[in-house]
Amino acid sequence: MGVLRPLRARHPEPVSVDPDDIVGALLLRAGRGDQSAFGELYDELAPMVHGVVLKVVRDPAMSEEVTQEVFVELWRLAARFDGTKGTARSWASTLAHRRAIDRVRSEQASRDRNDRDAQRAVAPHDVVAAEVETTLDVARVRRALAQLSDLQREAVELAYFGGHTYREVAVLLGVAEGTVKSRIRDGLIRLRDELGGEA
Amino acid sequence: MSDIDVHHLAAAYALDALDQRERAAFEAHYERCDVCRADVLEFRGTMAEVAGALSTPPPPSLKDRVMADIAVTRQLSPSLVAPVPAPTGRSRGSWAMLAAAAAVIIALVVGVVAFNGGNDDDPFNDELAAVLEQPDSRMIELDNQSDLDGMFKVAWSPSMGKAVLMGENLPVAPDGKAYELWLISGDQSMAMYVLDTAGDGQVHRSVPTPAEPTAWAITMEPVEGSAVATGDIMFIAEV
Repeated sequence: MGVLRPLRARHPEPVSVDPDDIVGALLLRAGRGDQSAFGELYDELAPMVHGVVLKVVRDPAMSEEVTQEVFVELWRLAARFDGTKGTARSWASTLAHRRAIDRVRSEQASRDRNDRDAQRAVAPHDVVAAEVETTLDVARVRRALAQLSDLQREAVELAYFGGHTYREVAVLLGVAEGTVKSRIRDGLIRLRDELGGEA
Repeated sequence: MSDIDVHHLAAAYALDALDQRERAAFEAHYERCDVCRADVLEFRGTMAEVAGALSTPPPPSLKDRVMADIAVTRQLSPSLVAPVPAPTGRSRGSWAMLAAAAAVIIALVVGVVAFNGGNDDDPFNDELAAVLEQPDSRMIELDNQSDLDGMFKVAWSPSMGKAVLMGENLPVAPDGKAYELWLISGDQSMAMYVLDTAGDGQVHRSVPTPAEPTAWAITMEPVEGSAVATGDIMFIAEV
């Protein structure tokens, strides 16, 4: 049993963020231990993070727990944020969604949700349009979602909001797995094009 | 799973709509696939906009709880390694127990283990899935610090005491040499396995974890294996 030599970074790279990325700049400061910057970051991101978590998890108390976990994780990982791999907001929404999904799936493992899932599949509804506030962003996202075919929209919504895997979505919609996979892909490409580069 | 199949998973991956096994397969692929990486980034950006439209402020009291939490939470150092989102569970309690147990565990040097590189029906996939299904499983890609091609990922579960190692695209080791896996726990490096790439550049290997890893590393060693690392670190990931 021996001790390996000290580690050296071969290509140390400075942490960088897009100058226009205000959230990224806050995250950068938070990564250096700046708690007040993290407080500002929380104010910027909390509605989005909690919105995603609530949409997926649904239970309000459990959603608060997950939102709390997401922010502690953002704090823990702040120094590892890499601005060359997307915006801070995108990073946070990815982490929020992943955490929400993990929670839902671990809950699901201990509970049979088939009945509710089946009902949801029979009457898929426009989840976003039904619940969001009427801001410009919301209107834009709603318009973009409306450009998707029914199957594309259902597949994307059941996956992203419902927390289902694409295989589960295939069962819910009664179509082939390959079809769901390509509808999700087509749907996201369409969404991306509709939303343009205004992220 | 062929590369073509894997490419098509980028959108579903960005929506977290893959099961754990496919997620792992895709993550092993996309770090070295420019097309998939670009796709995932774009799709995530798109979904971040959708996420913005869902905005719902949490109760004001939540901020106090978060700020209290972070005040007592240590931050990770900037990584030399690209972080890979890993499926994580809620409980980390077992880590402390494992760390305590690790103090009395003596690491074993295991000799040369020859094995075949993976294929689609590899029982290794089941072993990987079993590890990833644990609520405390982690997965990390090792940073390639060598001048050679190739990548390694390790997934492990402290509660199972088991890790699975995936290597791809690896050049064949020079004559008389072999890749060796090290589990680093605190200031101890434990020789784990000598790895045979079996000519196709792949390594699929499951190994026990005798201690809590604080880092994983790969060096090039004499083919019979070393108890103490003699080669430079080629791949490394701090946990």
